[in-house]
Amino acid sequence: MNIKNISIVLTVLLVFIAALVLMQKGNYVDQATEHYNKTTDASFKGGKKILEYVNNSADVNKLVWAMAVEANQTVKTSQDMAKLEAKYFPTTKGSNSIANKTRRFEATSAYFIVSTFDKVDEDKKTNLKTLSALKSIDVGALMGEAPTAQEEEMPEGEEYEEGEE
Amino acid sequence: MNTKKFKILAIVDGVLIVALVVFMFALKGKYNDQAQSSVKEQVGAYKATVNAALQDQWKSMDQYGMAWKLVYATVTGAKTEAAFDANVKQIFENTDARFKQVSYMYTAASIPAQVQNDIAAVGLADKFLLKDEGGVKEVACGKNCVATFKFVKGKLKESDYKALVEYKFADNFSIESPKEFKFE
Repeated sequence: MNIKNISIVLTVLLVFIAALVLMQKGNYVDQATEHYNKTTDASFKGGKKILEYVNNSADVNKLVWAMAVEANQTVKTSQDMAKLEAKYFPTTKGSNSIANKTRRFEATSAYFIVSTFDKVDEDKKTNLKTLSALKSIDVGALMGEAPTAQEEEMPEGEEYEEGEE
Repeated sequence: MNTKKFKILAIVDGVLIVALVVFMFALKGKYNDQAQSSVKEQVGAYKATVNAALQDQWKSMDQYGMAWKLVYATVTGAKTEAAFDANVKQIFENTDARFKQVSYMYTAASIPAQVQNDIAAVGLADKFLLKDEGGVKEVACGKNCVATFKFVKGKLKESDYKALVEYKFADNFSIESPKEFKFE
């Protein structure tokens, strides 16, 4: 190979290396950007999910609290309670336990209240038993004092759904 | 071009090639360090933003829970200023009950215990009673949420916890999406 060819090859090689030098920063920027996007996106999605889950759960919690507070001020009978439940939770109904003189309303398995009444009334025509003279409302689950997300099953045969009037 | 000129060109090329290769390796190390530190710094800053939002929510949920307990105690108990003050004190100071209540809410929201622990590391809210002047008492019921109770001559005259009943969680707790990466 004569010197002419060598110098041409070297010139081409020089241009090639110069191009590599210029492109090398771009490669690092691309790699770093990809890593950053992947990591921050996972953080964003994870954090957003937690916020949303807690927000959604708290929305239900808020309604049950508001209902319990209002019930303490206005409710006297299990029918009153049924009306109040329908106002706050149109699709969920509570159930009476005539034997225990209680009415349990479960918005979710975690958020529920149990109202205790003093009397059992019976409609002479229909034999439908209802509760009256509200004594207290147990809001333990709202205060975090219940076993979380565990459904407490009521004894069979004791409960029935109160019809909406 | 004559042979001599080609010789000079070849030598210059050779020298430049060597110089560029050295330069390239030097830059490689520099860019590598720069990329690593930029990513570390910016990912760290974003993660801190996300954590701060989660911790903000945790503390707010604590205030929210305390506020409901206070409203409930006020509605069902004695409607005097002394009883109210005692309730505020008892609710705020019972940190075990506060933690239990917030944790219960997070568990109900299906947040795993480990994740809860990381968030809870920030501690509970440090404020509850915000104002207590001339019978007017304000309590925090979450981020941007205040409930007001007015007492006249030691008796409860007015309870305003509308902000609590109408509290919009989704409006108060959100996380911004990450900013664009900057190679610095």
